[in-house]
Amino acid sequence: MSLQILLNGIFLGAIYVNIAVGFSLAWGVMDVINVAHGTMIVVGAFVTFACFKAFGLDPFLSLPISMAVLFIIGYGSQKYLLNLVVKVGIFLSLILTFGLDLVIINTLLMIFTGDYRSLTPSYSGSSFQIGSLVIPYVRLAILVICILLTALLQLFLSKTRTGNAIRATSQNRQAAQIVGVDVAKVYSITLGISAALAGACGSLISTIQSFTPFEGGFFIMKAFIICVLGGLGNVWGAIFGGLLLGVVETTGASIFGTGFQEAISAIIMILVLIFLPKGIVGSKYK
Amino acid sequence: MGGQKKIFLIFGLIAVLGLIVLPFFLEGYWIRVITSIFMYAIITAALNIIAGFAGYAAFGNIVFFGIGAYTTAMLMLRVGLYWWVGAIVGGVLASLYAILLGIPILRLRGHYFAIATLGINRATEQIALDWGSFTGGGKGITLPLPQMEINTFYAMIYFIMFGLLAFTVLVNYGIARSRLGYALRAIRENEGAAEASGIFAPRCKIVAWAISAFITGITGGVFAYWFSFIEPATVFDIMIAVKAFVMMMLGGAGTVLGPVLGAFLIELISETVWGKFLTIHMLILGIIMVAIVILMPRGIMEFFRKKFSLAAIWNNIKNQAV
Amino acid sequence: MSLLEGRNVTRAFGALKAVDAVDFQVREGEILGLIGPNGAGKTTLVNLVTGTYPLTEGEISFKGTPITGLKPAKVSRLGIARTFQIVQPFPGMSVRENVVVGALFGKSGTGRSTKEAFREADRWIDFVHLQDYRNAAVDQINISFRKRMDLAKALAMNPEVLMLDEVMAGLNTKDIEEMITLVKRINQELRISLLVIEHVMKAVMSVCHRVTVLHHGAKIADGSPQEVVRDPRVIEAYLGERYAKARKGSET
Repeated sequence: MSLQILLNGIFLGAIYVNIAVGFSLAWGVMDVINVAHGTMIVVGAFVTFACFKAFGLDPFLSLPISMAVLFIIGYGSQKYLLNLVVKVGIFLSLILTFGLDLVIINTLLMIFTGDYRSLTPSYSGSSFQIGSLVIPYVRLAILVICILLTALLQLFLSKTRTGNAIRATSQNRQAAQIVGVDVAKVYSITLGISAALAGACGSLISTIQSFTPFEGGFFIMKAFIICVLGGLGNVWGAIFGGLLLGVVETTGASIFGTGFQEAISAIIMILVLIFLPKGIVGSKYK
Repeated sequence: MGGQKKIFLIFGLIAVLGLIVLPFFLEGYWIRVITSIFMYAIITAALNIIAGFAGYAAFGNIVFFGIGAYTTAMLMLRVGLYWWVGAIVGGVLASLYAILLGIPILRLRGHYFAIATLGINRATEQIALDWGSFTGGGKGITLPLPQMEINTFYAMIYFIMFGLLAFTVLVNYGIARSRLGYALRAIRENEGAAEASGIFAPRCKIVAWAISAFITGITGGVFAYWFSFIEPATVFDIMIAVKAFVMMMLGGAGTVLGPVLGAFLIELISETVWGKFLTIHMLILGIIMVAIVILMPRGIMEFFRKKFSLAAIWNNIKNQAV
Repeated sequence: MSLLEGRNVTRAFGALKAVDAVDFQVREGEILGLIGPNGAGKTTLVNLVTGTYPLTEGEISFKGTPITGLKPAKVSRLGIARTFQIVQPFPGMSVRENVVVGALFGKSGTGRSTKEAFREADRWIDFVHLQDYRNAAVDQINISFRKRMDLAKALAMNPEVLMLDEVMAGLNTKDIEEMITLVKRINQELRISLLVIEHVMKAVMSVCHRVTVLHHGAKIADGSPQEVVRDPRVIEAYLGERYAKARKGSET
């Protein structure tokens, strides 16, 4: 396997890590499988698109905007909708987020129509070389930002008060409540952060591929697979799973062609679910 | 028999008779609409067996529809079998698929099982897409049109679907009253206690899924015959599965008539009110899903049994909220 | 004749032994008490018998045939039933429906029609005096009734050995008296042998023929209730070293 392919795998993996970290946060902390996560990523992409088209704002600079917009969407959804059913069961939350997904997709459809959209900032295709390795600028920037976001999240969770509250609640909701944690608020913030990460991801992805409001399904499938591979609620698991999937996919594509790629990923996920129900890395820290 | 039950039965009988004579009064478009409603009702009622009775949320149950459709289409085209033979074989293959996959997958806990079935559907859809030489790939399979007058054909399909629906409802009814039914409900309510009571859970779950798959598979076969054209995106469409789930929940998961009622309600509303505006239609469906989950997760049938009032709903929500 | 027997029964997690080389037997027709401080491994032992947990070492046999490693459903169908420390009902169903599950899938369940099973269920609901709540939703009755329902369900399974896990816990004095009478009836009228995990000493003393005591997973005493209660090791396990020493001191 050539170094270039490995590198491409890492570039792809970085995005996957980003997708998974946000998704896994909601799942790990609140047992909420946010099926709308994929579409939230798409929302981020559209926010960036809108900023680019309307104000000529560079996609990387629109990151804070898309993150803010998505944070509000996530926070609001949790506070007014999900918090009402979280206790009843993981399944009802799942259906609710499915419904949410439909609503968001269709709102996007109404605003932007179903046409494929893409962004082409001036530096789009350029790259530099180290030896025989080709390194596109955009991909490198994405890698760096993904690392930064993941590191910031990890710091936030371990060093700040809110972060600690989130971790406590994820381990034991009732115990956290007894100690005075406002669980409803913690949940809302968690989904807000999860959505914000999705927004960032979307902004980044908008620079490398075209998209429609329906793109979410593709991302959510990746998120599932990575969480299954890497275990839940576990930032390191998401990193491991994301990078692994990225490398496996690029390697597979170079050998088999892009054809059976998706089927293979899905089958890998099912096999892992069957044989290693706790993921390759280990269980949730619950 | 209680007074309420009698009224129910009479209405039911009228409805059934009405549906039987309808094709003689309606024009083509509406016959197809109602046939499609029947189809959704069958898929939902079949889903009810594994998701409603047993409590295993098979989100990807539509995979069996696709398997049935493809089996039927390929047998008709390549081997020249009659459509109904193909459909039955499709149903059998679908249940074999369920049994094989069920052995490992049904051991998984709730949400993992749900996701695994999604993965199975997606993987199977991809295989259908990528194995072009065998399945026709993205271009799908086109069947020769049936050799009969078009309106007669549609009326025939109407009755076939109606018959299948009646069959499925009877199966649901039979299961609900049988040992299997009690076993499945016990498994749904408390699997550990069910096993302690002597229930062989893995066996029961697999049987339930196999039955669900069989019915869903046959329906896929009928669909292939009906439309004379199938492709992966349509017969493995996850949206059908999601809709079926909502219909089941709206009507009442685990009841006999609930899923059918739910299907009728949602499809009728969809068709008559929003049929033209696809976008709004999906949006409203999404909102309905959210509303059902929050306001009445147990479905409409529950309201026929207990009193309901806005106050009761509000109380429920307050108790549930974090 | 020993009906249910365990030899060298061990369940270990690495170095931690939840149950440590325990030998026990329930003889035909007897009520065996299983006591010990919290965490002694009593419920774990029951879970090992039912097959809920696998054994690390040792064997368990029922009527002479080994049952080690059998799945819980299989063990139940052989004629060993149990109740749970924290009642495990089927929440969405009525009392009657809960008990009928036992009647349908217990030892005599195969081949029973649902009609017969419901008749059987009604019989046991009457036996535990729960007839007034026959059709009540199980999540709406209080703990005493739920325990009796759990008992009815286990009886509906037609067991030869019934294992009760703290069936008196949470009951008031009157309910305890009634439960004691029920347990005696089960043993004497129905000829069912019992293994009873209990903390309520009054029940243990008045109901059990023999008592086995566990502490930190190991058996520390075995004998009649009177013998066991005076055994210094048992006293030490329950009340601590200092009390045991003080007591010994005052007895000399």
